Amino acid sequence: MQILSIVQWYHFAYMVISIALLGFGVAGTVISLFRRALLKNFDHLLPSLMMATGFFMATVVSFSQPSGVRFDSYLLFVDYSQAGRLLFTYLVLLLPFLSAALAIGMTFVRYADRIGKLYFANLLGSGLGGLLAVGLSWIIAPQKLPVFIALLPMIAALWVLPRPFPINWLAAFVLNLGLIVIFIIRPFSFNLSQFKDLSKTLNLPGVEIIHEQSSPFGYIQVVSSPLLRHAPGLSLTYPQTVPVRKVIFKNGDWYGTVAPLFPPGDTTVYDYTTRVLPYIIKARKKALVLNSGSGEDISLARSKATARIVAVEPNSAVISLLKDELSKETMGLLAAPELVMHQEDPRTFLLKDTEKYDLISIPTIGAFGGSVGLNAISEQYLLTKDAFREMWKKLLPEGVISVNCWMDYPVRNPLKILATMIEVLTESGVEHPEQYIGAVRSWGTLTMIVKKTPILQQEANLIRSFCDRMLFDPVLLPDIKRHEREQYNMLQDNDFFQYVDELFSDQRETLYKNYDFNIKPPTDDQPYFSQFIRGKSLSHLSQLFGNNAMAFFEVGYLMVIITLIQVTLVSLLLIIAPLFHLGWHGGKRRSVLLYFGGIGIGFMFVEIVLIQRFILYLGSPIYAVAVLMCALMIFSGLGSYFTSRLELKQIRVFTIFLAIIGLLLVYSFSLTPILQQTIGLTGFLKILIMTLIIAPLAFLMGLPFPLEIKRLDQENPRLVPWAWAINGCASVISAALATVIAVEMGFKWVTILAAVAYGLPLITTITAKK
Amino acid sequence: MKPTCILILFLIGWQTDTYQEQRNSMVASQLENRNIRDESTLQAMRKVPRHRFVPKEQQRYAYEDRPLPIGYGQTISQPYMVAFMTEVIKPQKDFKVLEIGTGSGYQAAVLAEIVDKVYTVEIVPELANQAEKRFEGLGYSNVKTIEADGYFGWEEFAPFDAIVVTAAAEFIPPPLISQLKEGGKMVIPVGSPFLVQTLMLVEKKKGKTTTKSLFPVRFVPFTRGN
Repeated sequence: MQILSIVQWYHFAYMVISIALLGFGVAGTVISLFRRALLKNFDHLLPSLMMATGFFMATVVSFSQPSGVRFDSYLLFVDYSQAGRLLFTYLVLLLPFLSAALAIGMTFVRYADRIGKLYFANLLGSGLGGLLAVGLSWIIAPQKLPVFIALLPMIAALWVLPRPFPINWLAAFVLNLGLIVIFIIRPFSFNLSQFKDLSKTLNLPGVEIIHEQSSPFGYIQVVSSPLLRHAPGLSLTYPQTVPVRKVIFKNGDWYGTVAPLFPPGDTTVYDYTTRVLPYIIKARKKALVLNSGSGEDISLARSKATARIVAVEPNSAVISLLKDELSKETMGLLAAPELVMHQEDPRTFLLKDTEKYDLISIPTIGAFGGSVGLNAISEQYLLTKDAFREMWKKLLPEGVISVNCWMDYPVRNPLKILATMIEVLTESGVEHPEQYIGAVRSWGTLTMIVKKTPILQQEANLIRSFCDRMLFDPVLLPDIKRHEREQYNMLQDNDFFQYVDELFSDQRETLYKNYDFNIKPPTDDQPYFSQFIRGKSLSHLSQLFGNNAMAFFEVGYLMVIITLIQVTLVSLLLIIAPLFHLGWHGGKRRSVLLYFGGIGIGFMFVEIVLIQRFILYLGSPIYAVAVLMCALMIFSGLGSYFTSRLELKQIRVFTIFLAIIGLLLVYSFSLTPILQQTIGLTGFLKILIMTLIIAPLAFLMGLPFPLEIKRLDQENPRLVPWAWAINGCASVISAALATVIAVEMGFKWVTILAAVAYGLPLITTITAKK
Repeated sequence: MKPTCILILFLIGWQTDTYQEQRNSMVASQLENRNIRDESTLQAMRKVPRHRFVPKEQQRYAYEDRPLPIGYGQTISQPYMVAFMTEVIKPQKDFKVLEIGTGSGYQAAVLAEIVDKVYTVEIVPELANQAEKRFEGLGYSNVKTIEADGYFGWEEFAPFDAIVVTAAAEFIPPPLISQLKEGGKMVIPVGSPFLVQTLMLVEKKKGKTTTKSLFPVRFVPFTRGN
């Protein structure tokens, strides 16, 4: 997934992997159709499939990279031949999943009477595998990682090889292993999409990658060139040479420029940009820099002699990079006594921290990767109403929240952030939000400040004077006049100002409803700030800007919908195909479908909801996902193991489902207060609490699959692989479906629908009893 | 004259006519249809052999309504974009125009059909050399090329009546503003260099510099060097 994120974009990686995961569904279908033949050759097929898995894991990404077959997601809208390339990529990436799933599925079918233990081993491996991948990604480059991991199925193959080792088997094994070793020594090189930020930068003459770092936070590369200058939205009055900067890229996307330390009081390039606005009206004593990234806002705060700066950055790889390898370039920016650096998710920090500040800043919105759709399906918890409400509470009386964004066209980022601010103020009891918000605009950027108390006349005058000096235009001030807004920088049309005014009026909801883009403020329940695309506007946008432009809007969400349609269609085929062989009637086929479909969807929905809840709690998405998955898998595995010790007659399956649904309902009410109360504890205690919360639910969720497989094996063993195919397909569909539900209706509904999904097998078990 | 020579000459003549037809059609369908009205611009677009500014393998697409790759990660802009950027600076015969980002040289050639002098700056040495040879070959003696960092403009020949920047930048380079004549116009794509940029018109009037956003575009990033 990370490799695909590097060469393309996250949303593309998401799409391809979702399809590839259908390998599990395909395997179930294949086993259903050829069950007898496969089981007859089980002893030979199992080691062969394990070796094939190792081979494909090590090689498939390189197979999909040659220029003749490589897919580029940005060209999909203009070059329809890309569809063929996309199909090829799907098929190639399907191979390791398919061969592994065939091996696992055949084992499940062959030893269905021991399914509890087998499923336990499978889940335990999945849980530990997640942790191992996170650990290894610190030390192994992304292109080598799958090759190293390919050694694991090779070990498994060695384990199951016929004994004593026949010479031809041994030869095949050694050959395969040799190939993997070659790939470790000489890994394939990345072929980045020509549209990636890094690709474009590497086209500049004299450019050089000076540092590379693998990490679970992404593949970090630092690019140096005497050609790279950085000064977004710089005033036309800037009198000096724009400084050259080194640039940090994460997974091939622009992450930020390495900001140096400026002596306090020096005039810097920041003084000629809109982002200096909070310092124009008042010197700041305590600044909180959230998502400090490559250090721009820290550098600005230090240049303004801010007495205390608290910076929060979740990416530990970038922090250590700035502190160590790039310390010369940063001139010790992060080493100052007035700076306190926290490696944590900013939202978690906001919930824990008790200090108050007179400036809170967040990174520039809509810049450098923020608006190409990369984030359209990423949860951005720092840009929700809940986040700004917490920031608002942490402001000292004269304090401001400062937000900087690029002026896009058609305008969407500035409108959405303004709408969010207005709603936060209104819901906090502010009657006239227009008195509290100030904004200035250069030819390309807009900086907005939200003040804890109304902006004074004197402060408004300081802002006006700053705008005059810099050739900027004030957009929002308590006494703003219409003619002031376009003195120096004229826009294409006046729509922007009209929308801004509508947001302050009672027309706000109408604007949300009628605007071509989704500018409704995001919440923690629907934390998708960069999700602007609306289905009903697509044809209108296409008419206005042409098909070619569509790829440059936030298409991430479209990719999810396309993925959902594709996986649903393929899944239906995979589920229906075995029925031609198994027959359409009898053997409780409908019950099997509902049972395994329900638990597949329910399990995945619960997993996704819990991940979202615990990301904020643990303060690090990467580790939260790794720890949660590990705990979920291990406790589900234990549940599965538990079934191996039970006689089928002893169990009332419907009580398990009732317990799962009951627990989900309890969690939906009680989880938030528990997490809020304990968020200030140490990491270890939080992991412990998280594990205690997950354990009972996960244990219960691990029971239904092996129990029913065992029952089916006794009653109608031919349906076992079909059940497995249904379960695999349902899991893959639900990954994309959960995202669509979360975007459209929020995570609350994903939780409710998880309970509904577990209600399906409940109904089948109750019906079966009758 | 031998029959083979006659045949070759015939084919060359036929090909030339074909390209001229393609240019006329390009102007009618891609430019006039989209409100490019400046006669000098349209005339220049009809005259400059765009196919000579693209790699051989791209020549058959030369007059299509799209940018084309020219190597070194750069592109030749779509004909409409070239015409628009020419028209928007309101070029006059006696103008001295600076172009930043020579690329293939097509934009400079179009400008050279209209104005007295064109100064063009390209940072990629290979492109600069190729463009210089192309100008010589096509008889554009009023175009002067330099391999340099476009960020600094071309101080030696400043001030300019107009500046055309064909590569995206995240800021408007201060040296370019200072090299623009009073009353001059600069057209430049600006914004985040990797996303959709805005084509901007910068004007210097009565000592005051103003900008006007024209429309969103995507250009190759602005290459800069020392």
